[in-house]
Amino acid sequence: MNNTLRPFMARITFIKKETYDTSTYGLQLKENPGFSFLPGQFNMVGIPEVGEAPISFSSEPGEKNKFQHTIRAVGRVTQAIAQLKEGDRLQIRGPYGRGWPLKEARGKNILVVAGGIGLAPLRGFLLYIWKNHNDFGKVVILYGARTPDDLLFKEELPLWHKKPNTELLLTVDEIPPGTRWKENQGVVTTLFDRVELSPDNTLALICGPEIMMRFVVVGFLQRGYAGSRLYLSLERRMKCGVGQCGHCQIGPKYVCRDGPVFSYREIRGLPDTLV
Amino acid sequence: MIKILPQKIFFRWVESLPREYAIIGPVREGREIVFQPIKSPQELQMDYINTMAAPRKFIYPSRQLLFRFVRQNNNQLVTEEILPQGQQILLAVHPCDAHAIMVLDRVFLDEFTDPYYARQRENTLLVVLNCQEVDKNCFCDSMGTGPFLHPWMGQDPAKGCDLELTDLGDRYLVGFFSEKAQKLFSFPLEMATDEDIQLKKKKEARVKEKFVKKLNIENLASLLLQNLDHPVWSRVGEGLCLSCTNCTMVCPTCYCYNTVDKVELDLSKTERYRHWDSCQELHFAEVHGGNFRFTRGARLRQFVLHKLSYWVKQYGCFGCVGCGRCISWCPTGIDLTEIAKEIQGIKIQ
Repeated sequence: MNNTLRPFMARITFIKKETYDTSTYGLQLKENPGFSFLPGQFNMVGIPEVGEAPISFSSEPGEKNKFQHTIRAVGRVTQAIAQLKEGDRLQIRGPYGRGWPLKEARGKNILVVAGGIGLAPLRGFLLYIWKNHNDFGKVVILYGARTPDDLLFKEELPLWHKKPNTELLLTVDEIPPGTRWKENQGVVTTLFDRVELSPDNTLALICGPEIMMRFVVVGFLQRGYAGSRLYLSLERRMKCGVGQCGHCQIGPKYVCRDGPVFSYREIRGLPDTLV
Repeated sequence: MIKILPQKIFFRWVESLPREYAIIGPVREGREIVFQPIKSPQELQMDYINTMAAPRKFIYPSRQLLFRFVRQNNNQLVTEEILPQGQQILLAVHPCDAHAIMVLDRVFLDEFTDPYYARQRENTLLVVLNCQEVDKNCFCDSMGTGPFLHPWMGQDPAKGCDLELTDLGDRYLVGFFSEKAQKLFSFPLEMATDEDIQLKKKKEARVKEKFVKKLNIENLASLLLQNLDHPVWSRVGEGLCLSCTNCTMVCPTCYCYNTVDKVELDLSKTERYRHWDSCQELHFAEVHGGNFRFTRGARLRQFVLHKLSYWVKQYGCFGCVGCGRCISWCPTGIDLTEIAKEIQGIKIQ
């Protein structure tokens, strides 16, 4: 019987430092040929001796057995991962969950709203739609971080401006003294008035702190977006990834199995969430 | 196939069971009855009313080794999968607890099959004993899971259980559900007569009259969902609940778990265990930067709503089988049927 809790070993092929507390890890699996994933899905990433944590893919799908995770060192497991070097090994099991709505997004404008580390699970989606850009309309990305130092994928962001049909708007909450910053200042919702997309033909994909997502959803509902067109990726503590350990439940929903990406319509009114 | 099993033969059968089977049944432990491995059939308390903890731990252990990770000299990690071994017989499980095991089947033998649970379940023979007495906190009659064994919300005892016993005084009426049970039973038995079957029906009707605790489950799942902000959650949650987790430890259907890595001091070996977790613990819904169920009220609501509402959407049945244990073992007397009744607008004496 296939044991879904059994981790496989993946080698760290590279580590790229994104910010003072966040790095992108290139990983390669040897044991299980044919491993592939969809943007928005996640792996349980683990270190024996420490444990496992759910981490979404930050790379584009398609390459077999190779993928990237962008991980911020904030908890027990992620802090232990931050100690690892290239060539070290991580435990991986997955992919789990339901990712971004690729089918529904076809033919639509795409509005991406990300806060902080929330850009990581959306990067794979963006790379995917740029590769298939004839299938999609305009792409508008609103990306907010605490300070300019907290922005992820700093070297890539200037290139994203030049992608087909794409507009990238950046904002930061604070500008520390001595930091150069020519873009917007303020929470991500302060960019909303600069978005010129028709709500009828646009899907919004949102990921960030839950309190941010709450205000993003309110802002878009006020601007005429239907709840079924707002997609959010949620985060909860998970131990299994397959709807059995019970930790990630929000009302009757399992974030791991039914999500982590939900349309706002699916989760509206549920308890124990900020959105 | 329904037969008559004289009590003497039942005890001789238990005694004659092959040694490779662990035999688990209700035994006396101090003032309580608990499920435990037995050495002799004389230990069995066949007239028990309810046990302190549910028999779930024999199918889904409270602490279970999943993997052993061994570091080789070249620093390669070898993963050993530790599946449960050994056959067992669960004796005299009441219908509510038998249905609770079938509820757990729906959780662990779902789209993703948990191999540990599957193995343990496969290695278990489940012998159900219909109830003769009713505790003051029992409400299986209201939920539909007891006091006698019947199909319930998509759960078929003919598929999930092996034997059904009904006490008729000096003899049991015995229903065989599985081939496994028939194979283990070599004693020749007489077929039950129509009279015996009528007597079983009469017994069931008599037991049903004894229930004092009742709950109307009509529309309950959706009514509770519409009352997420009802004052009962904060009043009972903050005023009475101690977050002690007794309710979730004695509950026969609670399945939530945590995983823990236990490490040798020289890091040569790590054992990954899982153990029961509880939504009543503060840490349960914690994430980096916050906690989605910080208050006791929110955690109490999670327990009650999961059992009586969310579960129906998730699995097509209630997560409560009406065993009453969470009520009996709550140190401050919280009663989920009273919470439900308050939301239903029913006055409680």
